[in-house]
Amino acid sequence: MNIQETNAPKVKKETKNKIRVEFDRTSFWKRFRLKYISWNFLGTVIWKIARFLLLLGISYVILMPFFTKISSSFMSADDFVDATVKLIPKYPTLATYKAIIRDNGYWTALINSTILSLMCAVIQTLICAMIGYGFAKFKFKGNKILFAFVILTMIVPHRTVQFSMFMQFSFFDIGNLLKIFTGKGIIEMITGSSVKLINTFWPLALLSLTGLGFKNGLFIFMMRQYFRGVPDELEESAYLDGYGVVKTFVKIIIPLSVPMMITVFLFAFSWQWTDNFYTTIFFTTMGPKLLPTIVKIPSSLDTSVASNMFNAAVNNASAMLIIAPLIIIYLFCQRYLIQGIERSGIVG
Amino acid sequence: MNNTTAKKPVKIKTVNRTAPKKRRRSVGLDKKKARSGWIFVAPFVIGLLIIYIPIIVNSILYSFGEIKVLTGGGFKLTMVGFKNYNEALAGNPDFVRTLVSGIKELLLDIPAIVIFSLFMAVLLNQKMWGRAVFRAIFFVPVILCTGLIGQIDSTNVLTSYMSDTTSSIDTGAGTDAVTQVVSATDIQWMFNSMKVGTGITQYVVKLMNGIYDIINRSGVQMLIFLAGLQSISPAIYESCDIDGASAWEAFWKITIPMVSPMILVNAIYTIIDALTSSSNSVMMFISNIYSGTNGHELSAAMSWVYFLIVIVIIAAVAGLLSLFVFYQRRD
Repeated sequence: MNIQETNAPKVKKETKNKIRVEFDRTSFWKRFRLKYISWNFLGTVIWKIARFLLLLGISYVILMPFFTKISSSFMSADDFVDATVKLIPKYPTLATYKAIIRDNGYWTALINSTILSLMCAVIQTLICAMIGYGFAKFKFKGNKILFAFVILTMIVPHRTVQFSMFMQFSFFDIGNLLKIFTGKGIIEMITGSSVKLINTFWPLALLSLTGLGFKNGLFIFMMRQYFRGVPDELEESAYLDGYGVVKTFVKIIIPLSVPMMITVFLFAFSWQWTDNFYTTIFFTTMGPKLLPTIVKIPSSLDTSVASNMFNAAVNNASAMLIIAPLIIIYLFCQRYLIQGIERSGIVG
Repeated sequence: MNNTTAKKPVKIKTVNRTAPKKRRRSVGLDKKKARSGWIFVAPFVIGLLIIYIPIIVNSILYSFGEIKVLTGGGFKLTMVGFKNYNEALAGNPDFVRTLVSGIKELLLDIPAIVIFSLFMAVLLNQKMWGRAVFRAIFFVPVILCTGLIGQIDSTNVLTSYMSDTTSSIDTGAGTDAVTQVVSATDIQWMFNSMKVGTGITQYVVKLMNGIYDIINRSGVQMLIFLAGLQSISPAIYESCDIDGASAWEAFWKITIPMVSPMILVNAIYTIIDALTSSSNSVMMFISNIYSGTNGHELSAAMSWVYFLIVIVIIAAVAGLLSLFVFYQRRD
């Protein structure tokens, strides 16, 4: 009893707003021993080191292809012949880059791809946000059936239907369902022929506008889950202030969902950027030059020496040229990528 | 303590539900609001009617028909019944074999991807030094290694050559045997002492060597798992800790049930992603057929056979997993 009283902290009031507490601290060594010299602490340290090494190792596995891409793109023919050269080129050169940029028309391809990807990404982000909001917050009849169709568009791979997709857009018409029975679509009835949309940006624009583009099902799903987490009270207060449904969406919901929209935008943009499926379906050699077309051996570059490796190096250099803009965008946006997804609270 | 913390998440969920709102509002307004939902989904409905359904219907028609290209441009479709399907399943010697082996391979990859992404998400969710950097690195493949770049990567002979540091300098020729992350003998040695059979050993060796592939394909899944882990209330872990559970127990008793809906979502997403990606063997086989003679109809038939199998697999996996899924809010 007595001991307890002496050990108990003494509280002194120094001034009106300040107190001072006096108590006997356990000695430093005792605290040190208890805290750091124990199996528990050892386990924690080992776990932390193991975790760090594991993450480091996997990061290495992820980044290694980029290192090889970068270094091999600077290699000259001498490096491929020299057996002592592994990762670091001995005779670095910019010739590969220069040849690709000059001969393969990099700048035109870059501009065309930028326009196409930006257009698709912006449209897809807005449209998927809209559709996702519709599915998340409105309990209209047929909501669930329609959402099942969204899942269906995800499940049916576009590669499965690539031929009919090509046909759809080379003979584009609005009433194509009608066409199966009557042989003529609505546009054909009016103007006499269907519209050929191949080699224009229209097919991808139309697919994006209707939420049918590449992986748009996933975007709609992500958006829907995100909007489900937005409290209804927000919209209710907007309705009370006299906003309509559309105005509420534009003024309240969209500003709220910027992180998630950046995530979707990043996905849409980069997937469109490196896409070579739609570009091969919808664009022939006659069409605008896009980035996938620059992946070829430039005519002025002599790759006959160590051709196997040299060709790979040329491919690597073009890959670097293609992803360079993406890397810059990723560096700026990756913060939002994780933020957006963290706040979404996706629940199945 | 336990009581209050357990109740807390339920409270949050009820705020989001529409049920209490109905009491406050008249039915007519609710209905009117619900109907205006069509405004938002209108683009999708229009796309479905004008673009998507015709594409699907046409594709099915092509798979039952024969296309003759007319000289003046355009084409003529004649119905031939199940001829293309017969040719795909019985006539073509390689299709069924590719289909079976391809699907088997993918089915083995799927658990690996889901488990790996869950594990990585748990690791990346912990507080540690350099977390932001690691997160940024881990999501690089989602953004940068898709489509075209993935194709270039898969044909890149230099990757194996450069990471191969063990081969002697004299020969200089890159061999891929040494580039494997772990050699088969190491794992065999480890598993032999555990006596589990060669099948599992081979599976693990294959996974370890294909780790880059698995990392590449688990980016979106990791994001979804991270989101799920973030949504678990820390209060649950706290009360678990107070009750004396170790981190290991907390993982199995709290984390796994709480993210089980995400496991379902991810399993299905992984199946869809793996079975529909252009890099898998069946898809490559079909696209080879597509560019051959009479390939359009035949590849359409093959794709629909494949699609039916995919649907069956998805339904089976979804049905199986949903038996184990735990939903927190069910009132």
